[in-house]
Amino acid sequence: MTFQEFIKELNGDRVEGELIKTIFYSLITSFLILGLLYFFRFRYIEGFIEKQGYFLFFSALSYAFIIPAIRQVRAYKEFACMSGMMIGMTTGMIAGFLPGFYVASTNGMFIGSIFGMSIGIILGIWNGKCCGIMGVIEGIMAGFMGGLMGAMTAFMLFNDHLITSMIIVFIISSVILVLLNYMIYKEMKENERQIQEDHLWTFVITFILINLTIWLMVFGPRSGVFG
Amino acid sequence: MKNATILIFIVIMILAVGGFVFANGKNGTTAKVVSNEGQVIVQGQAQNVILSQSGYNYKDITAEADKPITISADSSVGGCLRSVVFNFNGKKYSKYLKTTEDTLELPALSKGTYSFSCSMGMGYGKLIVK
Repeated sequence: MTFQEFIKELNGDRVEGELIKTIFYSLITSFLILGLLYFFRFRYIEGFIEKQGYFLFFSALSYAFIIPAIRQVRAYKEFACMSGMMIGMTTGMIAGFLPGFYVASTNGMFIGSIFGMSIGIILGIWNGKCCGIMGVIEGIMAGFMGGLMGAMTAFMLFNDHLITSMIIVFIISSVILVLLNYMIYKEMKENERQIQEDHLWTFVITFILINLTIWLMVFGPRSGVFG
Repeated sequence: MKNATILIFIVIMILAVGGFVFANGKNGTTAKVVSNEGQVIVQGQAQNVILSQSGYNYKDITAEADKPITISADSSVGGCLRSVVFNFNGKKYSKYLKTTEDTLELPALSKGTYSFSCSMGMGYGKLIVK
């Protein structure tokens, strides 16, 4: 069974063996930044955890699941068109939907959709380019749609179990991302790794993403509905 | 370090941080909507304010400071705009004003301009307290 092979490979020497470490390093980076900022600044902001804490926590978790997919794709560098389009679409969609959802929950639909679209399109292009222009277009389309949809969903759920919905959305997105990791393994298990990278860029991308999210949620502009 | 050990660290880390967030945020405004069902406002103290629709938004409304406010919506208000949300200092007041008799009770407010919207955030209005 290929999925069992994939599970075994999570402890192997291929790039799949680095996925769990990537999640770990990304989480460590996000939680360290959040912890330090909370200790020195955010705990003095009234209602910080209620207003932004939930969403920042899930942002950190989401980035920790998105970044391993980018690492895995970069390692193989080139994919067939069908796989590349799926990679671009999945990455763009999830990387747009989740940040859009979280930021819209704290700042409103406009800022949420702009942020979601930006992250979704950038990461969608970055991952989708593994198969050329088709993957790039797929990444742009999915990032554009995901960012808007994530923000809109959050805003429409604002008075109706927003936190529960966020947990459900996050779980479904995580399952999709794990399945993407599996799909990439299945498609490329006969191929050799093309690019060898250390974990520096995991720290850098996480640092950029989490800081952008924090800045927007805490200090960024808000829509009128937040009073 | 083996991946199984790292996985255990990840789970512990998520549980610890998540536990902290959920334990400290359980009384949060995000998860809590103040409902006015069953509240009684003493007659004579509260002031009635009627919402009307103007295009896709609410018409601006005015009220006096330091007096509780009772909000209702006239028949010009339609669709999702009948479900109105006010947010004062992080506390939300929301109700679906299905008929013109349904009311939403708000606390006494100090002078200022307060934004409000429909529950989907699509239609906006301003409450000017003088």
